[in-house]
Amino acid sequence: MSDFSPEYLLETTSYLLDGAWFSLSLFTITLVFSIPLSLVIAAMYRFVKASRPVIRLYTLLFRGTPLMLQLFFIMFGLPSIGIRIDRELVAYYGFIVNYAAYFVEIIRAGLEIIPKDQEESAFIMGASAPRTYWSILMPQALRMQVPVFTNEMITLIKDTSLVTVIAISDILRRVREVVSRDFTLSPFFLAAIFYLIVSYLIVLIMRRVEKRFDFQ
Amino acid sequence: MKSYIIPSFALAALALTSCGAPSTPTTWDQIENRGYVIVGLDDTFAPMGFRNQAGEIVGFDVDLAKLVFETLDIEVRFQPIDWSAKFLELDSGSIDMVWNGLTITEPRRLETLFSDPYLANRQIVLTKAGSTISTINQLANKKVGVQLGSASQDAVEANQIFALLNELVTFDTFDLALTDLSLDTIDAIVVDEIYGRYVMSQQPGIYKVLEEDFGDELYGIGFRLGNTTIRDTVNDTLFDLITSGEATAISETWFAEDILLRP
Repeated sequence: MSDFSPEYLLETTSYLLDGAWFSLSLFTITLVFSIPLSLVIAAMYRFVKASRPVIRLYTLLFRGTPLMLQLFFIMFGLPSIGIRIDRELVAYYGFIVNYAAYFVEIIRAGLEIIPKDQEESAFIMGASAPRTYWSILMPQALRMQVPVFTNEMITLIKDTSLVTVIAISDILRRVREVVSRDFTLSPFFLAAIFYLIVSYLIVLIMRRVEKRFDFQ
Repeated sequence: MKSYIIPSFALAALALTSCGAPSTPTTWDQIENRGYVIVGLDDTFAPMGFRNQAGEIVGFDVDLAKLVFETLDIEVRFQPIDWSAKFLELDSGSIDMVWNGLTITEPRRLETLFSDPYLANRQIVLTKAGSTISTINQLANKKVGVQLGSASQDAVEANQIFALLNELVTFDTFDLALTDLSLDTIDAIVVDEIYGRYVMSQQPGIYKVLEEDFGDELYGIGFRLGNTTIRDTVNDTLFDLITSGEATAISETWFAEDILLRP
């Protein structure tokens, strides 16, 4: 069977797709949980002054150390103090907490750009602080940061391959499994196509999102 | 806005509730009570443990482990691990033993409790068939590849040639080292004979083996330090099966002959 024969590629693809399923689920779950989490943390940062040092420390720790190290720590460090987490949950927790740290800073940056007079106008017109925050500032901040989020999402789909360090069978680990058995490079191309397709879909969808919320 | 704190605590609580996993067994009785045993292996290490076309974990060590735990009448679960993290996995309790062509070395005795040796192995040097390298001394100023955290790496680093190498390139898995060798970005790899021979049988004519090697070694099963009853139970059963000849068929399937070590 040749390395690039249709049967071989088809068979390999179906095996890789099982791993791609995990990559996609990690991608989706990370986004679904880390975005709301980051909104909550960003709001805390604004309204609960006492939380600021804690949040600064959090974003420093999780943006300042490699995600791979964080996965290692959750997987092998926590059991030594009696906390054992299932392998796949390690990946989910690690990614959610890590990506939320980045999203918090992206949202904060978005809020910083909005001119102060909007807040003042809202105050004069009698809007409460939370209402000003959620209905006036936040929509603009999010809209402005859409291209940055797109960037993060593309990084995220590629980062999912880091779970190989805790031996989860994502698409890239499956590629290596096939390569170590058949000594062919074609699975690498298949994986590249997978990442490209997903990245392209992200770009397409986010372009739509940008257009849809273009209210400036 | 204290209400924002609640969701973050909920997440933390969720994290803690998922730690209800059974505590790490330290004796064979505890393994029996739990009802299964977890074998950790690098599923990219043919022919000891790897994935077949259907994606199932197969191999010599896998068959041997299945036979042992079938005899002991206990369920066996195979957990793929990253080879460089094998003892971390063992310590964290996510696996009960490393059974995957694990070479018995003195430094490793500090980290794991070995079974008796069940297979002999050598650290061989593999080069492209047309290479001019024919002795270990000729590896001077060459780039040599090994798997990170492997016995091959230990063997090269313990040899005097190590200081003379251009570079010792450490790869996550041996297949990546092979890929680099086939692309001529490295000049040779040092690898377990068991794996090297398998590669050569799969790709005849591409590689050659040097006559000199980096020494003889033995394979054993690695258990958590202190788990002597688990080690003894598995060890006794394994060598009963080898002595009685019941394990012979497995060796013949994978190596075409019985190369299992007798106690």
